[in-house]
Amino acid sequence: MKCLSLVAIFLFAGIVQAQEETKPERKPGHTNNNRFKQLYEEFSTPNTYRSANGAPGPDYYQQQADYVMDIELDDKNARIYGNETITYTNNSPDALEYLWVQLDQNVRAQTSKSKLIEPSGAAPAEMAGTFVGEYMGTGFDGGFKIDHVKNDKGANLPYTINQTMMRVDMPKHLQPGDKFVFSIKWWYNIPEHTIDRARSGYETFDDGNRGYVIAQFYPRMAVYNDVEGWQNSQFFGRDEFALPFGNFEVNITVPADHTMDATGKLLNRKEIFSKDMMKRYEQAKKSYDKPVVIVTQAEAEAASKGFSTEKKTWKFRAENVRDYGFATSRRYIWDMMAVKIGNKDVMAVSVYPPEGNPLWEDYSTLAVAATLKSYSRMTFDYPYHKAISVHAKNQGMEYPMICWNYGRPDKDGTYSERTKYGMISVIIHEVGHNYFPMIVNSDERQWTWMDEGLNTFVQYVAEQDFGEWYPEAIAPNKAYPSRRGPANKIVDYMAGDQDQMAPIMTKGLNTYSFGNNAYGKPATGLNILRETIMGRELFDYSFRTYAQRWMFKHPTPEDFFRTMEDASAVDLDWFWRAWFYSTEYTDIGVQDVKKFYVTSKMNKEVREMMEARGMKAEDLPPLVYLVEEGSEDFEESMRTSTLDDVTTLNEYIMDNVPASERANMKKPKFFYEVTFEKPGGIPMPIIAEYTYSDGTTERITYPAQIWRKNDKSVGKVIASEKEITKIVVDPDEETADIDTDNNTWPKRKKLGDFNNFKNKVKED
Amino acid sequence: MLFPLLAANTDHKFYVSTTNIEFVPSSKSVQIISKIFIDDIEEALQKRYGKEVSLATKKETDADRELLKSYVMQKFHISINGKEATYQYLGIDYETDIVKCYLEITGVSALKSIEVENTILLDAFDDQKNIIHIKTPESRKSMVLDNDNPKGLLNF
Repeated sequence: MKCLSLVAIFLFAGIVQAQEETKPERKPGHTNNNRFKQLYEEFSTPNTYRSANGAPGPDYYQQQADYVMDIELDDKNARIYGNETITYTNNSPDALEYLWVQLDQNVRAQTSKSKLIEPSGAAPAEMAGTFVGEYMGTGFDGGFKIDHVKNDKGANLPYTINQTMMRVDMPKHLQPGDKFVFSIKWWYNIPEHTIDRARSGYETFDDGNRGYVIAQFYPRMAVYNDVEGWQNSQFFGRDEFALPFGNFEVNITVPADHTMDATGKLLNRKEIFSKDMMKRYEQAKKSYDKPVVIVTQAEAEAASKGFSTEKKTWKFRAENVRDYGFATSRRYIWDMMAVKIGNKDVMAVSVYPPEGNPLWEDYSTLAVAATLKSYSRMTFDYPYHKAISVHAKNQGMEYPMICWNYGRPDKDGTYSERTKYGMISVIIHEVGHNYFPMIVNSDERQWTWMDEGLNTFVQYVAEQDFGEWYPEAIAPNKAYPSRRGPANKIVDYMAGDQDQMAPIMTKGLNTYSFGNNAYGKPATGLNILRETIMGRELFDYSFRTYAQRWMFKHPTPEDFFRTMEDASAVDLDWFWRAWFYSTEYTDIGVQDVKKFYVTSKMNKEVREMMEARGMKAEDLPPLVYLVEEGSEDFEESMRTSTLDDVTTLNEYIMDNVPASERANMKKPKFFYEVTFEKPGGIPMPIIAEYTYSDGTTERITYPAQIWRKNDKSVGKVIASEKEITKIVVDPDEETADIDTDNNTWPKRKKLGDFNNFKNKVKED
Repeated sequence: MLFPLLAANTDHKFYVSTTNIEFVPSSKSVQIISKIFIDDIEEALQKRYGKEVSLATKKETDADRELLKSYVMQKFHISINGKEATYQYLGIDYETDIVKCYLEITGVSALKSIEVENTILLDAFDDQKNIIHIKTPESRKSMVLDNDNPKGLLNF
C-alpha cells in the first residue's frame, strides 16, 4: 500500500526515469488458476431440465413407480415371500427399450462381487471367527430367488440379471407418457443382521424370538433421469440408493402375535388392534408432551412366551414415498406421541424390544418428536403422518417414515453416557434422513455427501436444540455433546495424509475415510458457511430454499451449490472449489507485525527515491512519513510524540478540515503493518482479534476475498489509539485451521491438550 | 446410515485411531496423544483377555485401566534416532466416545528420525487403520499404519 501510493506521487510529478536494464527470466504463461475463479468448468451448463438458479427447470421431469405388494413372512424359517406389481410411468421425453430393477439382496448372494472388489492382505493374526467365516464357511444362501417376471396379461417377460441389477425387456418401447405394468414373484432367506451387518434382517433375542427389520426387500425400480439416464450403478453394500417416488399398497402377513409398524398409513387398524390398543392410540394422538404406550413391556413379554401359528395381514398405503420398510416381532413394545408440525399433527413413534429399556422408553419418542420440529424449521414441514424409530442392535439405517437405531443398555439395565448419546444422536440422524434423501431425493449411490453430509449438518442443529429443550436429559452437560459439526472436530482428518483423502465430490464407494469424507467434512463445511461466512439468516434462507425447491424431486450437487448462491447473493464458488472439490485445508496465521511512527521528517526510503529521480524536497507534495520502529530513521522521541507534532498533517488539517469538525477526528497513536500468512490452500476469511494495552479487544473479519490477488500472504495497516498487545487469528476455532501454532502474535504457544493433561495429573 | 459410534464391523466398518506426536525442543520431549474409540478398544480387550471391560462408565475398575495400559504399552513402540525409546504412560482421559492416552518421552534434544510401530487394535480388526501425525517445529508429517504396514519411519 505504502509503496504503491509513493510510486503514484512520483508519476504525478511527471518524471519518468528510464528503468535500469535487467533481463529477468520470463515466466511461462498460465491459465486462470485463481482460487476465486468461477466454477464454469466444473459445472455443466444449465438447461431446461435444471435452471441456472438451482431450481428445477421448466422441462424437469421424474419417473414414477407405483407398487402393489403382497408380502408374507415365514418366522419359523426366516424367509420372506413377495409378489409385487409395478406400474411404471415414463414421464421422460425418451422412449425406453428396457427397464432396470435393483435387486439389492443379491449383495448377499453367493455369487456377489462385493467381497471380490475389496483387496485383502494376509494379516499376522486373524480372529478365529473371521477366519472361519472367511476361509472355512460355505456362506449364507442369500439373494433374491426370482420365481417369475410377468406382464399384466400373465405372460412371462424376458429378464437379465447382472449382479444387483435386473433388466426387464418390454415387448415394445415405452413411449413418453405411457405406463408399463409388470409383476415379479420372489423370495429370499433373511440374513441375521447382527452377524453380517446387513442393513436389514433379523436379530435373535435370548429367548429365541426374532426381531425383523426389513428393507431393500423387494425388487425396486432404478432411477431414470436427465443426468444419468438409468442410474444402474451396482450395489456393493456400502453405497446407498437412488429410487423414484411412487405410491405403495402393501399387505404384510405375519404371525398373529406380532407387533408391526411400517411405511404408510395402517388401513385396517380396527381389525388389528385390540380394544385396549385402540383406546391407548386415541390417547396418544392427544398427548403432546410424553409418549403413550400402545403395547406394554408386560404384553410384549407375555407374547414372547408363545409362537402363534395363526396369521394376520397388516394393510398399509403410502403415498409419494421412494422406498418401503417394516419392522415386526412378537417381542416389540410400541409407544407414540403427537407433535405439532405447522398446522397438523404428526405421530412420533417408537418400536423396541424390552432389551432397549430403560433407555428407549425414556428418550426414543422424545428424540423423534424433537427431530421433526428442528428439521421442519430448517427445511419444510414434515409432510408424512408419522415417523418411527425402531430399536435394532447395531443398526443405524433409514427408510421413509421408519428407521432402525442402535443404543442398548447392558443386561443389568445400566448404560454409559456414550450409549445414551449414541442412541439419541443416531435417532436424530436416521429420522432426519426423512428429509435428506427420502424427500429431497438425491442420488445416494453417486453422491453420498448430499444426504449424509446435509443430514449430519442438520443433525448437529437438532442435537443442540434437543439439549436446549431437554436440559435435564443432557445434565450435567450444558450443551449437547455433538460429535460432528463444530469446525475443530474435523481438524484431525483434514490435517491427515493427503494420500488417504478424496475430495467430497467423489463417489461414496471410492472414498477412503467414509465417515469423515461423506458425513463430517460436508457437515462441517455447511456449519462454517452458516456461522462464519454467510451468517445464519442468509444461510438458513438459502438452505430452506434448496430443500423446498427439491422436496419430492431429484437434485444434483450443482442444484444445491447454485441455489445456495442464488438465494443469498453470496458468491461461494471459491468455497465449493476448496471445500468440496479439493482436499485443501485451512491454515492461516500472523507472519509478522511491524510497528510504525508518524513524522513529518523525511525517511530514508523516500529520500532515496527522490534522489534517484533527481527531485528536490520542494517538488514533493506535503507528505506524512511512516518510520518503522528500530529502523535507521527511528528516534526514541517518536514514541512520545503525537499526530499534533506532525507539521505536514497539522497544516493539511488547518487548511482542509473546518474547525468545528476537528474535535471529532480520530487521533490514532499506534500504527502497525500486520502480515497474515496462509500456508493452507483454502482462502478462509481472516478472523483477527486485536487485544489492546487496556485489556479491551476488537475483532475484525477480513472476507476470504482478501486472498484473491495474493494467495500466500497479505498485509493490513492498523491505526489505533491504543497499543496492540496481542493478535489472535481465528480465536474461536471456527475455520478448521489445522495448525494454530502460527495463530498468535507475539508467538505464544497455546497450552495444548498435552500440557493441560499433565498439569491436571499433577494437581491430582 | 450411521455406524455405531463410527465402529461398526464387517462391510460397513470404519476402524480408525489417531495418534498425535509432537517434538517440543524447549522441554526436550516427545509428547504423544493417542485417541482410540472406546467401543473398539473395549471389544479388543474383551476378545483378547476374555474379560468384560467397561471404560468410561460407573462400572469401570482400576483393573480395566491397568489392562488398557498394559495393552497400549505392548502394542505401541517408538524409536528415536534409531534407538527404541522408553516412554512414560502418563494416563488417560475421555472425550465423548474416545479415550485419549498420554505418553511422553523425555531427554530428546534433537530429532533426526522417528519410527513408530502402532499395532493397537490391529489384532482385533483386519481393517483397522492407525493414523499418525508427527509435528516438529519445522514440519508436519502423517502416515497411516495398518496390518500391511504396522511400522513407519520418518527422517528429519
